[in-house]
Amino acid sequence: MHSNWLFAGRIGRLVSLPATPADILPFIIAVITSHTFITIVVFPGFIHLMLVVMFLTWYERKLLARIQLRIGPLYAGGPGGILQPIADGVKLIFKEVIVPYKADKPLFLGIPLMLVFLGALPFAVIPFGQHWVIANLDVGLVFIFAMTSLFPSMILLFAWASNSKYPFLGGLRSLFQQVAYEIPMWISALSIVMLAGSLNLVDIVNAQSKIWFIVPAFLSFIVFFIAVMAELERLPFDLPEAEPELVAGWFTESSGAIFMVIFLAIYMKLYLMSSLVTVLFLGGWWGPAFLPQPAWFIIKTLVVATFIIIPRGVYPRLRVDLLIKVGWTRLLIIALANVFLTALLLNTGALSALGI
Amino acid sequence: MVDLGIPPDVAFVILATVTLLGAIMALQAKELIYGAISLAISFIGVAGFFVLLDAPYLAMLQIAVYVGAVVVLILFTIMLVRREEADTIERAEAGEGSLGLWIAGLLAVSISGVAALAGPNLPTTPPPADLPVSLLGPVLAGSYPVPLIILALLLSAALLGALILAKVER
Repeated sequence: MHSNWLFAGRIGRLVSLPATPADILPFIIAVITSHTFITIVVFPGFIHLMLVVMFLTWYERKLLARIQLRIGPLYAGGPGGILQPIADGVKLIFKEVIVPYKADKPLFLGIPLMLVFLGALPFAVIPFGQHWVIANLDVGLVFIFAMTSLFPSMILLFAWASNSKYPFLGGLRSLFQQVAYEIPMWISALSIVMLAGSLNLVDIVNAQSKIWFIVPAFLSFIVFFIAVMAELERLPFDLPEAEPELVAGWFTESSGAIFMVIFLAIYMKLYLMSSLVTVLFLGGWWGPAFLPQPAWFIIKTLVVATFIIIPRGVYPRLRVDLLIKVGWTRLLIIALANVFLTALLLNTGALSALGI
Repeated sequence: MVDLGIPPDVAFVILATVTLLGAIMALQAKELIYGAISLAISFIGVAGFFVLLDAPYLAMLQIAVYVGAVVVLILFTIMLVRREEADTIERAEAGEGSLGLWIAGLLAVSISGVAALAGPNLPTTPPPADLPVSLLGPVLAGSYPVPLIILALLLSAALLGALILAKVER
């Protein structure tokens, strides 16, 4: 699948370029209806991503309100105020962007766009169905690893560029939290790679056609899920944006459109990590045939996102030293032990009864 | 060769420009932060070269390790070190590092001795250029175990050296 490595120039080769002015309209129609264009722009690309991310912001507020016996968004039209994200977006676009005194202006305005870019790019390799994937990379999992490993440096740069104490403290916390939990996260994903024998996400999902990997690799599911919560800075790991201590953490100084873009990036990352859990452990698009494959994928992903959101309404925050202790001394050891356990099970053929 | 949609020579020139400009900016930037960012851009350019050479796995690891970890370390250091502290670098006195030189020489001699002994056992034909990722491990650990171990030794020696250099005596 090397030819799928970059999509630049693919559309131009699928349909011949127009020769005369009369050919321009058929050319445009051919481009718009081509599979490449639809996967990049409509599904699972840009439009689908924006819609789901907007839905997730509403969904989180509504869910937390239900947990706390409140009503949540209500007045913005549709059932249960489902148009609230659009109202929020319009409001934030028209608000003034305040750049703090002596802030590093290019970084302060540029890093949020970079965060959205990094949040959206990994969706190119997430398979939403057998044929619903933009780029079928051989190294898809490592690609996501590389892209998510850039988040901490971007967050630290933004926090530094804000020229303010609270964002910088939040940025430092975010840096050491994400670096500490990245390692157990990807080591626990290693046992899935061993089970599937591939780094290609489509192959990993295809290997789960008989049994989901959550059954043979339950331990690594637990480690991966906890590490995902920490990577997303969700409660009980939301030290980088601890409201009582740091106002809003590393994005305290952001306002208006800059805040909206950061918010978008955060929810994009939530969707990305939930879909990664679905791909690695919950069998991706596999499900009974009465629904199409992408529908199963999105349902499973939203269920995972629900379980990531719920603790925010339930649990208190961890202490800093406990957070680092859990990451480096518990999760890392469990993840490493799990790799050897998986190797042992695979080598002795104990998993052959499950069809692996 | 990877199918990029543009001629490989054009891709090479673009990547070389990005990499070299990033490297020059990293040296010339007045603010250290911008220097670190330029270094990251230069590393991404190198990753692009790996993609061009049909080694996407290496390219991804280049981004994850160099841009994701090394540049974070550099940024962290820049943000925590105050300007006046960074300017003064103490020079070592003469004869201070003689023991280290002896140990380094001993290490070099022993490593080259092992390499010379293991040399005849290495495969003479290089592995195929389009080696899939799944065969990378068997080839590295099966055909080239001695170079791998020597590399690991060198890396751990460098790590120990960095620890000793960074240790501040109080």
